[in-house]
Amino acid sequence: MNPAPLIELNHVSKSFTLESGAEIKVLEGVNLAVQEDEVVALLGPSGSGKSTCLRIMSGLIEPTAGRVLARQKPLSGVNLEVSLVFQSFALFPWETVYQNIALALEPMLLPAQEIRARVKKVIDLVGLEGFEEAYPRELSGGMKQRVGIARALVMERPILFLDEPFSALDVLTADTLRAEMVKIFMDKKTATRSMVLVTHNIQEAVFMAKRIMVMGIHPGHIRQQIVNDLPYPRDDQSPAFHRMVSRIHALITEALMPDTPTLSHEVSHQPKPTHKGPPIETLPNVQIVEMIGLLEAIADQGGSADIFELAHDTGKDFGRTLYLAKGAELLDLVDTPKQNVVLTDIGRHFVSGDINVRKRMLHELFGALKIVQMTANLLRRDESLRLPIQELIDQVGEWLPNENPHQVVDSLVSWGRFAEYFGYNDDTKEVYLDVGQETT
Amino acid sequence: MQRTVFSQRYFAIPDFVILLVIATAIYGVVSIAHEWRTEFHPITQIDLSVRALPYYTMLSAVRGMVAYFISLGFTLVVGYAAAKSTTAEKIIIPLLDILQSIPVLGFLPGLLLGLVALFPRTNIGLELAAVIMIFTGQVWNMTISYYASLKSVPAEFGEASRVIGLNWYQRLVKVELPFSAVNLAWNSLLSMAGGWFFLIPCEAITLGENEYRLPGIGAYMDVAIKSGDTRAIVLAVIAMVLLILVMDFVIWRPILAWVQRFRLEDVGGGAHVEPLMQVWIRESKILHRMKMIYRELVLKPRRVRSRLAGEVSVDAIVKIRAPWVYSVAYRIYRFAQLITRSPRVTRVMQMTLGFVVLSLIFFGAYQLFSILAKIPPATWIVLLRNTAWTFFRVLIALLLSSLWAVPVGIWIGTSVKRIRVAQPIIQVLASFPAPMLYPLALGLFFSLGISFDWGSMLLMLLGVQWYVLFNVLAGAMRIPKELNDALLLMEASRWARWKNLYLPSVFPFLVTGWVTAAGGAWNASVVAEYLPYHGTILKTGGLGSTLSVAIANENFTLFAASLFLMVLVVVTLNRLVWARVYRLANTRFKMDL
Repeated sequence: MNPAPLIELNHVSKSFTLESGAEIKVLEGVNLAVQEDEVVALLGPSGSGKSTCLRIMSGLIEPTAGRVLARQKPLSGVNLEVSLVFQSFALFPWETVYQNIALALEPMLLPAQEIRARVKKVIDLVGLEGFEEAYPRELSGGMKQRVGIARALVMERPILFLDEPFSALDVLTADTLRAEMVKIFMDKKTATRSMVLVTHNIQEAVFMAKRIMVMGIHPGHIRQQIVNDLPYPRDDQSPAFHRMVSRIHALITEALMPDTPTLSHEVSHQPKPTHKGPPIETLPNVQIVEMIGLLEAIADQGGSADIFELAHDTGKDFGRTLYLAKGAELLDLVDTPKQNVVLTDIGRHFVSGDINVRKRMLHELFGALKIVQMTANLLRRDESLRLPIQELIDQVGEWLPNENPHQVVDSLVSWGRFAEYFGYNDDTKEVYLDVGQETT
Repeated sequence: MQRTVFSQRYFAIPDFVILLVIATAIYGVVSIAHEWRTEFHPITQIDLSVRALPYYTMLSAVRGMVAYFISLGFTLVVGYAAAKSTTAEKIIIPLLDILQSIPVLGFLPGLLLGLVALFPRTNIGLELAAVIMIFTGQVWNMTISYYASLKSVPAEFGEASRVIGLNWYQRLVKVELPFSAVNLAWNSLLSMAGGWFFLIPCEAITLGENEYRLPGIGAYMDVAIKSGDTRAIVLAVIAMVLLILVMDFVIWRPILAWVQRFRLEDVGGGAHVEPLMQVWIRESKILHRMKMIYRELVLKPRRVRSRLAGEVSVDAIVKIRAPWVYSVAYRIYRFAQLITRSPRVTRVMQMTLGFVVLSLIFFGAYQLFSILAKIPPATWIVLLRNTAWTFFRVLIALLLSSLWAVPVGIWIGTSVKRIRVAQPIIQVLASFPAPMLYPLALGLFFSLGISFDWGSMLLMLLGVQWYVLFNVLAGAMRIPKELNDALLLMEASRWARWKNLYLPSVFPFLVTGWVTAAGGAWNASVVAEYLPYHGTILKTGGLGSTLSVAIANENFTLFAASLFLMVLVVVTLNRLVWARVYRLANTRFKMDL
């Protein structure tokens, strides 16, 4: 390893203040160094702060705590050694492809022929010949991102940041661009020495990166670093590639979906409860209907499925699928031994029932959750069985100090509505206990 | 293909038109410069013959354009400052809110007396006063909308330009101005119309004993009204309509078509018709030649030829030249930013600034209070009663406007064919300054037996109904087709469709229309409740007429009191009533499918 990293994060943390005044920690204690000649991937589900991490390294936002070093000097302002490719492309619709790329050279005040030469070079490199005079709105998503990449490359900066660069594209286009990107990097025809890739796609990380930083949530942090020494160009069909993917699968599953002790029959592994009584569950930020879709997909596969295959089959990213599985597990509808999701007896019964059976079952299962009971008790304190939503948010914030209370209450209300347990009136901004009364 | 044939055969037409436009512009500027330098003569004799009218119209047009360019400059500087500095924002935005609610005539006495005293020898003071008054009728909504645009530049555009390393000027030119262009163009169009609204009192005014009159179509109208010359009134109306049509054709249509390229969303449908003027501009050989000359003589030498040494580095980010006004303004701003970098200094600066602003407010309030204290209680009662009267008229005007504009707006807005036909017509109608129609409308009212008390309310309506129509139309155009189809499949009756879809979906837009119309109606009351007509002066009880009477009698105490009341009522209503209705409309009835 080179002794002098290009960028270094030392114990970096970042909090945002919500509108309600509450502080949300998005990143805590992140240590990361980007060396010359490598591709680092930040891999994690939404909420793991990977984009925030990238923006801190580029100097677009400042950390709340910790130090950012660029070539061993404290970074102030924007890091001018970095260029950035955006998920949403961020092309200016009023400029042509050529102008969009040339815009990146504007600050350097180069002579006209130099600008032409450099723009032409990157246009060749990313395969945009013939599109010079087109406006972004005339291009497909894949071509737009080529412009985005060309604009980043034309600046000839040593570090290239890719912020979920292919996730707005269809699968085939994304595969093509990913391979081209690796080729451009390996050919070393550009000034790019290192790349940092933000992604939630495991295959993508394994395909492109030498080091994969697996990130966790609540708050965002780096869980583990995986060194990926597969030789470039990588073959995503090779056994070694699959092994690497499975290894990361296992790591993420363990982090997000720890096997519950009752399932594993290894009582000794049971973590000691830190407070009295059963813990208060947090509700994952997913929709019940989506969860039912997942249960049906599992039933179609005979009642048991691998979580990552499931994600692939349903076309969702693994983070989302994991949250759905966690939600279903919370309601005792599935078990999750290792990477598998298995319907429980309750789950089987649930899937085979019609909408009314399902709703009745949900009403009971949802009502058994600790957080639901606590909320119901809170609502019963008032004769009208109502409570302003803000008070509930504040209360949940106290129960679950590490969560975003807005998100939890959102789920509480949306699950509660489906289970006919809670209701919410947006005009009065009140949550109420659904006891089947007529609401006005 | 056809176009090349066309341009080859009639190659002279575009060049001819463009030469004509350029020549008129030059002649107009020269004439106004001449007017400005003539010896001070407060009352210009207005020639009511047809032959004099084109010259007057041109002079007014040049005043309007000069005022517009001042508005644009003001907008670019003040709007930018408000968007970029939180301290400036805290002062500028509330100030604009208040200034916006002051009717143009409210600025008149101070401006007129001040500027005439400043230039006692030439007519420049009088001319400047007219231009600045037109400016006050144009500028506020432009500035506010430019500020709002700058604030809503998408975050990723900001990030992209920061990563690229654009300096503030490159960012302004390459990102912020293009992003704001569509809004700025539409607001320019509206502002121009707003500027014409008070053209008559801007060019012809009685301030106590003194009369002032400038050569222009507004003054022409004033003289025609006062002498009861119906022929001249009709001629002036025709001249004004022609002026609006020509400006629409030569300026606004090409500009509005041109800014389409700055839209963020994809513009669907290829049925877009290119305005003729835009075609001409493109095909004009003269303009093409001029562009070449500009490129050779101005742009090329500006390109810095020196090649920067070495790899791209921080040093390579050098600043390029900006227009000096912006440059100076920005230097001052940067200087302020630099010395306020430390939080303690910022704190002290903000407190000092806050103190200065507060003391100014206190001083102003004290001055105002000492003026207002002179007013006897009996006058206050009259003032309040008049406020109530004007309030009542504004309400009725809004109600009547809504009664016809809502159904008509929905009817037009739900058919692409009807929109295409109606929109340009409405645009011209709405640009026409309603006060110029007042004498003709009054003649009609009187022949129908409507008294001036009620008539003045209808006069208000004449000016403000367009705001309602415009907004309803905009809302109706956005009604989702799927919902309409769904209702049609349910065989919903016409009334059911109106009740369940059309009315709720235009409601948020209607509220915006009401807010603008109400503000406009309060301002219009100044000319609608007090009106010279056939040699006499008609007036009716109301805050607007009180203000006008105060100006005519040079009664500054009454002037201050009525102006204060008007601003107070408009701002309070905006803050307390309209803001709430607006919020309701935008949460309950917002279309997000």
